[in-house]
Amino acid sequence: MSEPVVSEVKRETGSGTDLWRIIVSPTIWAVHFLASYVTVAVFCEKAGRAAALAPAEVAVIAYTAAALAGIGWSTWGLWRVRGRSLTDDDFEYEHNTPEERHRFLSHVALMLCLLSAVAVIYVAIPMLYLSSCR
Amino acid sequence: MANEVTPTAQAARLEATWARPPGWRMFSDVNNSAVGVWYAVAAFSFMMFAGALALIIRAQLAVPDNDLVSATTFNQLFSLHGTVMMFLFAVPVFEAVAIIVLPAMLGARDLPFPRLSAFGFWCFVIGGVFVCGSIFFDAAPDAGWFMYPPLSTEQSGIGADIWLLGLSFIEVASIAAAVELIVGVLKCRAPGMHINLTPLYGWYVLVVGGMILFAFPPLIAGDFLFELERAFDWPFFDVRRGGDPVLWQHLFWIFGHPEVYIIFLPAIALLAMIVPTFAQRPIAGYSWIVLSALGTGFLSFGLWVHHMFTTGLPAISLGFFSAASEAVAIPTGIQIFAFIATVMLGRVVRTVPMLFAIGALAIFIVGGLTGVMVAVAPFDFQVHDTYFIVAHLHYTLIGGMLFPVMAGIWYFYPFVTGRELRKHLGIWSFWLMFTGFNVAFLPMHLTGLLGMPRRVFTYGPERGWDWLNLMSTVGAFVLAAGFLLLVFDCVRPRRAAAPRNPWAAGTLEWLAPLPAPGYGLRAIPEVGSRYPLWDDETLSARIDRGEGLLADAEEGRRETLVTTVLDAKPLQVLRVGGPTWMPALAAAGLGGVFIFATWKLWLLVLVSGAFFLVVLLRWLWTGTAEIPEKETKDIGDGRRLPLHSAGPYSTGWWAMFITLTGDLTAFLSLVFGYFFFWTVHEDFPPSGIDGPGWQWPLASGLLVLGGWAATLAARFANARGAMRRARFLLAVGMLTGAGSIAALLAGPWLAGLDPTAHSYPAIVWALVAWIALHLAVGLLMQGYCIARSIFGRLTPRHDADLWNVTLYWHFTACCTLLTAIVIGGFPEAA
Repeated sequence: MSEPVVSEVKRETGSGTDLWRIIVSPTIWAVHFLASYVTVAVFCEKAGRAAALAPAEVAVIAYTAAALAGIGWSTWGLWRVRGRSLTDDDFEYEHNTPEERHRFLSHVALMLCLLSAVAVIYVAIPMLYLSSCR
Repeated sequence: MANEVTPTAQAARLEATWARPPGWRMFSDVNNSAVGVWYAVAAFSFMMFAGALALIIRAQLAVPDNDLVSATTFNQLFSLHGTVMMFLFAVPVFEAVAIIVLPAMLGARDLPFPRLSAFGFWCFVIGGVFVCGSIFFDAAPDAGWFMYPPLSTEQSGIGADIWLLGLSFIEVASIAAAVELIVGVLKCRAPGMHINLTPLYGWYVLVVGGMILFAFPPLIAGDFLFELERAFDWPFFDVRRGGDPVLWQHLFWIFGHPEVYIIFLPAIALLAMIVPTFAQRPIAGYSWIVLSALGTGFLSFGLWVHHMFTTGLPAISLGFFSAASEAVAIPTGIQIFAFIATVMLGRVVRTVPMLFAIGALAIFIVGGLTGVMVAVAPFDFQVHDTYFIVAHLHYTLIGGMLFPVMAGIWYFYPFVTGRELRKHLGIWSFWLMFTGFNVAFLPMHLTGLLGMPRRVFTYGPERGWDWLNLMSTVGAFVLAAGFLLLVFDCVRPRRAAAPRNPWAAGTLEWLAPLPAPGYGLRAIPEVGSRYPLWDDETLSARIDRGEGLLADAEEGRRETLVTTVLDAKPLQVLRVGGPTWMPALAAAGLGGVFIFATWKLWLLVLVSGAFFLVVLLRWLWTGTAEIPEKETKDIGDGRRLPLHSAGPYSTGWWAMFITLTGDLTAFLSLVFGYFFFWTVHEDFPPSGIDGPGWQWPLASGLLVLGGWAATLAARFANARGAMRRARFLLAVGMLTGAGSIAALLAGPWLAGLDPTAHSYPAIVWALVAWIALHLAVGLLMQGYCIARSIFGRLTPRHDADLWNVTLYWHFTACCTLLTAIVIGGFPEAA
């Protein structure tokens, strides 16, 4: 997806949440998912179906830790955006300022961090229960 | 206003500028309000055709041991039913509705590339008629809508080629629509419409456009490999020669599962517009809907293997996809809860669209729940390829797509035609469709659990499936009756005229008098809220008086505003294309390439290709990157905006960027194919077959860097005013680019790689052919820029062409380098 001209926004409001920023955490999920899948698929194909998963398990746990750290870092930055609220003050929507746009995008990005973290953990769970490539 | 023209005279000028050409020349129109309607009519025609096929299927299955149609006809019926519904109805109808309503919703006069929309439409119609027509010659695809090899490579006749080439051609239309709609949502919103005020429909379109860029290209790459196997015997999917049919399954479902969400999200987007209108209050949880649409868009890419649970992949792989399939239920659920909350908080007006919306939610929830069931791999093992799956997928698609689209048809019908549908007919058609649907598909869950496999053309009476099937058949005909009633209502004579804003909606598309004029709004308003019509009661009167931006067309040119992405500040007055035959002619030429290739009529392919190229070049030469007669223009309130822009500020540059993103995805799918073969083979490259070596790929990589650097240097030189040097550099770029092609081809050629011998040489040649073709297009672009510069159409100040060509070279040079590393470097390292 495409989104131009970050510098222009910074000039206007001095606040940096833009469309790239909100897809950071889902992208981390996607990279984590692909890395986990490809690692395990290649490992099992080369090692054979009877092989123990342990080496791949270490890799996936490492990916998961890295992904959660990345999402956590993104969350930390967004957490400090002033005026965020769980409902985004959505019941009265009379906001028409760049600041409000910034708050909105921060809220979307923050909640996507949460969703991505949940999805990363979901994907890692099967790894903890399976022990072989069968 | 800038000059002394009365508002009436201005309105007349707008009217004349945006008028549809008279008579049969109306089909040369490119305006979104015309093309969108043709698009929708074509999509619904294909839908009724596929629906008729479904009724024949149901009639055949009504009783045991039926002989209404033969097994081979039955294979064609269900293959074409699935194919047409997915590729010729579900995706195109999204594009159609978006093309019709999106500009009005955003307060734009048109989408940024109207001729591209028209081109996409013509591609869609030509390809669609071609694919559908095949069944009348007993030549339709017959291996199911996902065309699994080896069945489709070993047994299918010409049908498989028709499927592959016809659909590849139609995918062009989808990519074109994605480009158009993404740029439209990001850059063509009315001034003041910050990204957080954008109608939810716009957000969904943005997400879906992005998804198309990552979902359709893998299928295009898969089609490319598949057709190379069918036409030239390159063994990508032939196990005897190192191929693997599972590669096709991966490529197909990397497309196929996001496709389900590409269909579902725009339909849900219609509900996001309809529900607030009839709850008479703003949507609850706007930002929650935005984030869950985005979240669904991402997570939907982690589901593809759940269609492949029974291919024997390791349990851990299934586990990953099962987990992601469960996770996607979270954002999907959030959207539905937001709709329910909106209904609960508002005062609901009882209307037919609302009825369809509620019916959609009810049906979709059942489909979603069975979806969670089949996402659990062991359960899926039991019901895989049975009627349980048929029931599940129809519940998701009809609840998630058809019913919301019916609601949308009812809702937007007055907007498009200025007429009203009759309420009691609507209620009848809803209940017929709703009852018919459930009578047809609810029993299929049981039929499937009792063991009936999908795609069998008949069954014995001893199976105990007979009464369930009979019930499904009856239901299917009731569903069809309900749909036909709606069609009748849409086309019957003497429909009452609709009042202005008949639903008392709050968004901009309802601002204009009905039916909405070709130019959209009389003047473009400054937007200050999510529901401007509810919040500003004088808006309508002011716009009618022409008080707003671009209220005139003094130069007789079709114009719309380009604004910034986040805060919608006006940036540019964009002149969009007017009526022309070129998109239709270009589509006919490109269609010829694909259609003649089906029968391997290579001479005619070449002729069609040349015709396409000539039309395309003429289209670009006369219609794009035009140098305006003046630099800036008053938009109506004293602000002067430029009429031209280049580089990252222009819509054209973003269109190129988006197209190339899709192209890159297709290329990466081919690279995935290479490494897929490496993964599944003990030794790859196989011993006994020499690869292209590292020398020629290295030479090709270095030469392509030269071509890229020369193009970039030409852009800088041109910007400094050194136009001669720029032309010289472009010529140098053409030479080195041609050298790069030669070096790339020399590697496998001199090594004597035979693509029919094994999957390894085949995939190397496929990568090389792909890149060579892209480099050849790059050379053409450089030549085009030289010609533009010589003829004074590319100047230091107006250099949009050169910016776009440079961008193309950034991407293509990267892909060439990656190819060189993969085919030349990887065998050395492995």
